[in-house]
Amino acid sequence: MAAATSMAAALAATLPAPQAAPAPSAPTYEAIPASMAKVIDIEAEISITSVQLDAMVVSKIIKHAKEAPGSSAHGLLLGLDLDGTLEVSNSFPLPHHSNDDDDKSTKGVARYQGSMLRSLKDVQADDSVIGFYQGMTLGSFFNQTLVDSQAIHQEKLRHGGVVIVHDISQTARGNASFRAFRLTRPFLNAYKKNNFSTASLIDHRLTFSTILEEVPLKIRTNALLSAFLGSLSEAAPPSTAQSNPALATSSAAIPPSYSRLNLGTGNTARNLELVVEALDNYKTEEGNLAYLQRQIAREKAKADAAVAKRKDENATRIAAGLAPLPDEDVSRQFKIPPEPSRLDSMLLLGRIDAYGKSLEETASTGLVKMYAAKANVGN
Amino acid sequence: MPLGPPSSAVFIQNAAPGFTSTPGRTPTSVTVHPVALFSILDHYLRRTDAQERVIGTLLGTRSDNGEVEVRSSFAVLHSETEEQVAVDMEYHRTMYDLHHKVNSKEVIVGWYSTGSNLNTYSALIQNFYSQETAPHQAIHLALNTGVEEGQKAGVQAYVGSPVGVTPKPENCVFVPIPCELRFNDAERSGLDLLTSNLSNAANGSFTNPSSDLELLERSLVSVSEMLDRVLAYVQSVLSGEVKGDAAIGRYLMDALGPSTEDLEKGGFNSHLQDTLTVSYLANLVRSQAEVSARLALVKVS
Repeated sequence: MAAATSMAAALAATLPAPQAAPAPSAPTYEAIPASMAKVIDIEAEISITSVQLDAMVVSKIIKHAKEAPGSSAHGLLLGLDLDGTLEVSNSFPLPHHSNDDDDKSTKGVARYQGSMLRSLKDVQADDSVIGFYQGMTLGSFFNQTLVDSQAIHQEKLRHGGVVIVHDISQTARGNASFRAFRLTRPFLNAYKKNNFSTASLIDHRLTFSTILEEVPLKIRTNALLSAFLGSLSEAAPPSTAQSNPALATSSAAIPPSYSRLNLGTGNTARNLELVVEALDNYKTEEGNLAYLQRQIAREKAKADAAVAKRKDENATRIAAGLAPLPDEDVSRQFKIPPEPSRLDSMLLLGRIDAYGKSLEETASTGLVKMYAAKANVGN
Repeated sequence: MPLGPPSSAVFIQNAAPGFTSTPGRTPTSVTVHPVALFSILDHYLRRTDAQERVIGTLLGTRSDNGEVEVRSSFAVLHSETEEQVAVDMEYHRTMYDLHHKVNSKEVIVGWYSTGSNLNTYSALIQNFYSQETAPHQAIHLALNTGVEEGQKAGVQAYVGSPVGVTPKPENCVFVPIPCELRFNDAERSGLDLLTSNLSNAANGSFTNPSSDLELLERSLVSVSEMLDRVLAYVQSVLSGEVKGDAAIGRYLMDALGPSTEDLEKGGFNSHLQDTLTVSYLANLVRSQAEVSARLALVKVS
């Protein structure tokens, strides 16, 4: 039996998703074959353990991230889940909305999204939204919009959805980087209550590193595409009769690239700037927080003093044989401001950490390359 | 970089644009970005049983020298029967409008179809797209998926030109024009990611390697292999097995000539210090951030 189930899983993994899973919204359910019964869950009971990214989505995201101004590339991921793997089979970019008219642009985006989904359904593409993607530069992807959108998605979507972040600067260096994330449960709890006070952070044990959890990501090229790519990247057979392997020039459509061997550490300066900028922002934010804390402390002290004073008065009144004055209204006179949200400062810290990490990676790779070049010179 | 099986075809440039009524420059060459190709292949995979081929719209830009750059593509519904061919024009317009919202620079440049047979229906569709792209000429990409036996995967680009005494939409000569795969740095790394694991991924899926060092190692290994190849060639020339090619010799001279002298002159040390400082700073910043985040969780007692 165990062998049979693993066989079924293997079979399921090789089947393309659209045929494997009947659309949940279809009025007539097709009978699920027995071999697939274990891996198809209509009720979304199997939790997601990995994300599988289709080659087309990879290229689409790279294209959009490169063309969008700044790091504002933002789009939706479409696909299906099968046996714990979220298969991302398509994606489309969302229009870049400027913040001039928020309500109008939100509506426009919603209309755009609906229209696009309908159109894709017409040509047999997957049309269920399973998350979104976001472009970023130098490893920093923490921001308010990402957290907000993902929180909404995690509420609404089946399985909560994922966010895939794509690092533009790393890709330009020759390392196409895609990572999948979702919000952690404690963060989501705190987010739902909209409470990011110190006490709540302690309760949920939240630091910037526990906001998001990473989901393992796999890249998949379907058979047709890998065959096509294979025939493009393999060298064309040498036309001349003398087929010395050393002479076979690579006339393939995709020649090997060596951009990674470039010694230059191009964007280190920009990276350092960003670190400093993020640190400055953090300092300002901390200043604001400290100011609000002090204000709270002051107000509290005032309230406490007033209550103590009233108590003293009451003591003297009781001593004098008079009825004591009520002391509730005194504390009500003072409005203690609510504790400020620490979400911003947490996100900023996350950003600093990410910039630091990317800086560190660039530096260490640079170091290795330098020593390699040096060894070459030495001998 | 040619995109397709080598052929001996000569590309005829229809240099006299007077015979068409289009004032725009005739496209002389086509470059295709990978994303467009991938979308076409995906569309082909998702076709229904009844469909022999799929068609869709190509979006991109035109440059002044007659080069057409295909940046992306989208699928269009169509049906072909013995009697008639129908393209869902409304669908095409909707999709174009949607794409236009995201990227306003890309315009319709032509259409694609899979398979490499060009028939009367192709001429009719070409006629339709010519109206869409007017005053410019529409291009047609025929992508052979290589699924059918005996056919090689590849892409051919054509422009249509009318034929016959009286121009009729169903009469058309498809004139081949050169077609190349084009990618920028970012797309290049994406392709590397996809092609690097083609050989060892039996089931077509692999995990995302994300360490710069791993990739560096891979590049170094491939460079070392190439050096071995060159060495083998040079040695075989020296021993007289193979007749040396002067052109290759000069290329080798140029490639191996550059010295790293300025690295010697103290440049190395100063750069090393810079890099180490940056690395130290990065680590310092990260640990400070971590400490700061933890301190926020400490209860004031």
